[in-house]
Amino acid sequence: MRILSLSSFVPEAICDTVRFTQYSGERNIPLYCGYVADFISQVQHDESVDGAIFPKTCDSSRSIRSYLDNIRDKFVYELIVPARHDKLAASYYAAELRNYREALVKHFQIEITDETIRTRMGMLNARNAQVRNMYKQLEKIRYADYLKAIHAMLQLPLEEQVGQSMDCAEVEMGKPVYLVGSFLANLTLADAIEKAGLTVVGDNLPESGRLVSLPEYAPADDVFAELAKVHLSARLSPTQNNFQEILERDMAEIERSQAAGVVFVMQKYCEPYQYLYAVYEKELAARGIPCTKIMLADTEDDGRAALVLETFAELLEVSA
Amino acid sequence: MSEEMSFNEIQAQLMMDYYMGFSKYARGRKPEKKVAWVTSFTPIEILEALDIAYYYPESYAAVVAASGKEQKMLEQSEANELSLDCCGYSCCIEGCLELQKGPRGIPPLPDVLIATNNQCNTLPNWWNILAKRYHVPLIVLDYPGERGNREAAMAYVKTQHEDLIHQLEKLTGKTIDLSYVNELIENSSKSIAAWNRIVKSMHTREISPTELFDGIVFLILSRCKPLTQKFYELMAQDMEEKPLADMSKKKAFWLGYPLWYHPKRYLEELLADCRVVGSNYITWWSLDYSGVDVFERLFNAYNYTFLNLSQKTRNRKLQQVIQESGADFAVTVHNKSCKCDYVSARGLNIPQAELAADMIDRNFLDIEDAKRKLDLIRSIL
Repeated sequence: MRILSLSSFVPEAICDTVRFTQYSGERNIPLYCGYVADFISQVQHDESVDGAIFPKTCDSSRSIRSYLDNIRDKFVYELIVPARHDKLAASYYAAELRNYREALVKHFQIEITDETIRTRMGMLNARNAQVRNMYKQLEKIRYADYLKAIHAMLQLPLEEQVGQSMDCAEVEMGKPVYLVGSFLANLTLADAIEKAGLTVVGDNLPESGRLVSLPEYAPADDVFAELAKVHLSARLSPTQNNFQEILERDMAEIERSQAAGVVFVMQKYCEPYQYLYAVYEKELAARGIPCTKIMLADTEDDGRAALVLETFAELLEVSA
Repeated sequence: MSEEMSFNEIQAQLMMDYYMGFSKYARGRKPEKKVAWVTSFTPIEILEALDIAYYYPESYAAVVAASGKEQKMLEQSEANELSLDCCGYSCCIEGCLELQKGPRGIPPLPDVLIATNNQCNTLPNWWNILAKRYHVPLIVLDYPGERGNREAAMAYVKTQHEDLIHQLEKLTGKTIDLSYVNELIENSSKSIAAWNRIVKSMHTREISPTELFDGIVFLILSRCKPLTQKFYELMAQDMEEKPLADMSKKKAFWLGYPLWYHPKRYLEELLADCRVVGSNYITWWSLDYSGVDVFERLFNAYNYTFLNLSQKTRNRKLQQVIQESGADFAVTVHNKSCKCDYVSARGLNIPQAELAADMIDRNFLDIEDAKRKLDLIRSIL
């Protein structure tokens, strides 16, 4: 079964999913975040997709259900991810994850036992540790290779991900920058960052900085409570409504990694990141840290990144 | 006192009670009560019971646009790095707060911010910006909506409401009386019952939609106050006595937000030969407070708000409201500021003229395009 997943809030411990990356095809869903619009199009048009799982965490993702409601032959599941990340939310989220398991079992007529989930948690701990190890070496490795390796992993069944080699070329350190954004669908952006003479020394992307911040899954009687607890303990997405905590963690990492500047990448019409940007930019300005913004129209768009990043690199040179 | 007050006197009193704390009138005087800034579907019965004053920035954005001052505010917001792709309410108010200006000044500063996601997810994002501006606690109330296990959702929402009460009791030093909350819920229910009579009158009486687009304000700002209930009962009586409408005119349903910047709140000049007989917007605050106890009543009212429902349920409700109105066609406003309502019109069985507009930014509408679409629908009908 090939279930397309939109978000890192969808726990891979329950079943294999394929993380949605990019769509190339007809686009006719305007005024929503391009990542979500492309996800909808992929599910609608790709016959190899057996199902879709997506959260209800932003206004664009809230619309997905409306667009996929008429699909009868695929598994379509809206995961109600809490808008909070406290103990109250964890309890609800655990119940919701249990519902998700039951829905999968019913639709696909498969078995997903608690023991299976525990085994998968162990595999995820190993996989995340591997990614974490690479993340710690960001200033020495080619960032584009690193992200490509992660994206490739997230397409595979979990069993094949564990121990998958993450071959990343070594690089000379360029101007250090910190990368902020949602899932980086278009990897040419990572190339463009490095071509501009910049080196990503940290990020808060869901597939990288946020993934490596996931605590280890502990063996637990209640696997769903454990899943909920772990996923709500990771670094926050702006959809979890605590911008202050995001700012504190990111600024600490920016300082620690001695990033000279910040590259903020977002999809047009992605309101969580647009609202976050409004406060993030000010925080950086108050600290004298230059920032540049790249706005993308969809998962294939590069937002004229080459030009933006070249200009930013020059600015960082001058400010040094 | 309310038995002696006329409709206009009650209206003036409610307006004064709400706006007297705004900077234009307060003149530096600090509010006596604790102040909360809330989003449109916040369980204000809890706040009222703890004697907290609550203000709605979204609603004030409508006032700013109606006063013709939104462009300056939007420009300021954009200069402040909040993209104009974002909700017009937020851009408008952020501009006000940055400039410290508004037709009635700015609201009294908050002691607490309360955001809910039962309308959209944008509002809690915006409230995070406000929290950064004012350095006050931010409470986010998470309403799961219609999908999923009802018992789990109710338990989750109940726990959040209890936690909200606990936090607000700490803030105010007061203790809530749940029987009083129940009374306030009753007031809200009665205000809504009177409002529903008004909505019904619109189908057959000579009533301008402007009266309802503007008239709903107290259902938003103060639905649980006894004076609000009285206000709507008087308004309902007045509406039910209006002359019968000209039934020969084509009947339009305004599907979407009012255009707050427009003097009539809708494109009256393009619909002069039609009658607007209904709108979904004016039904959004007709909350259902059914339930056996306070917490179940609050759950039913605030978890099942229109924009928190599934497409299927929205379609069913909208179809019913449209049918009751007797509308021949719908003017569907795809509001740039509200993606959640953007999909409301999907799958509806009524001819629609679909317009791209914004509820706050008057420059977003292409009036010639709107004319063409309305002419087209007339020719079809």
